[in-house]
Amino acid sequence: MPVAISVDAPEVSENLRRKRGYTFLFLSDQKAEVIRRYELLHPRGGPDGTDISRPAEFLIDRSGTVRWENFTEDIRVRPRAGELLAAARAIR
Amino acid sequence: MVDTAARKRTLAPWMGLLLTLLGALSNGLPFVGFPAAPVPWISLLLSLIGFVVVLLGLWRAFGQSTVYKGKLSGSIAAAFSLLFLAVAIVFFWDARHIPAESASAPQVGQLVPDFTLWDSAGHSVSLTQLFSGSAGKEPPKALLLVFYRGYW
Repeated sequence: MPVAISVDAPEVSENLRRKRGYTFLFLSDQKAEVIRRYELLHPRGGPDGTDISRPAEFLIDRSGTVRWENFTEDIRVRPRAGELLAAARAIR
Repeated sequence: MVDTAARKRTLAPWMGLLLTLLGALSNGLPFVGFPAAPVPWISLLLSLIGFVVVLLGLWRAFGQSTVYKGKLSGSIAAAFSLLFLAVAIVFFWDARHIPAESASAPQVGQLVPDFTLWDSAGHSVSLTQLFSGSAGKEPPKALLLVFYRGYW
């Protein structure tokens, strides 16, 4: 199950979710507390110099252990679905 | 007097301009299912090659003006291709201008910290809760946490 996390306010995410028809969960970390705890902060990376999250994906199993992860060096480059699904299928 | 009609046209500035434009547009390739990884390099390379081709055209028009015409059109193409090249370079730099991956970010095999956040409907949700499953639903075997830059 995908869970999308960003500094966006719940209303912004709800708007995006409806507009694009996404069915997965959006979580709002407006103070970037969780993003900081995960060491993913991109200081002043957002519009108007706000602190945002860098793009990162973690596949975690029921014990909370990271089984696959992806950090990008370029915001245009995101993981391919095939790689991600293969990692997900490996989790039983 | 040089007969202007006898001078050859040079297509190089226009070819170059097209390449720089394609370079700028190629940033959209991942949106149509193209593997994203080589895109930043393709975009930059196309724009750079395009600009070199434009320069070749300018050299023809100005340096060999007895053979080629097109000083004005070449200059116009050069101005636009320079703009596209600048856009490609700024894009390239900006898209990669993210902090170095932190060594203390969760790594494969490590436990991630639990958290409680608000969902888009305004309900509080914790990681533990997500793994315990909602009413009537089987708990998920895995979760994919997607941290993203936000929507703007």
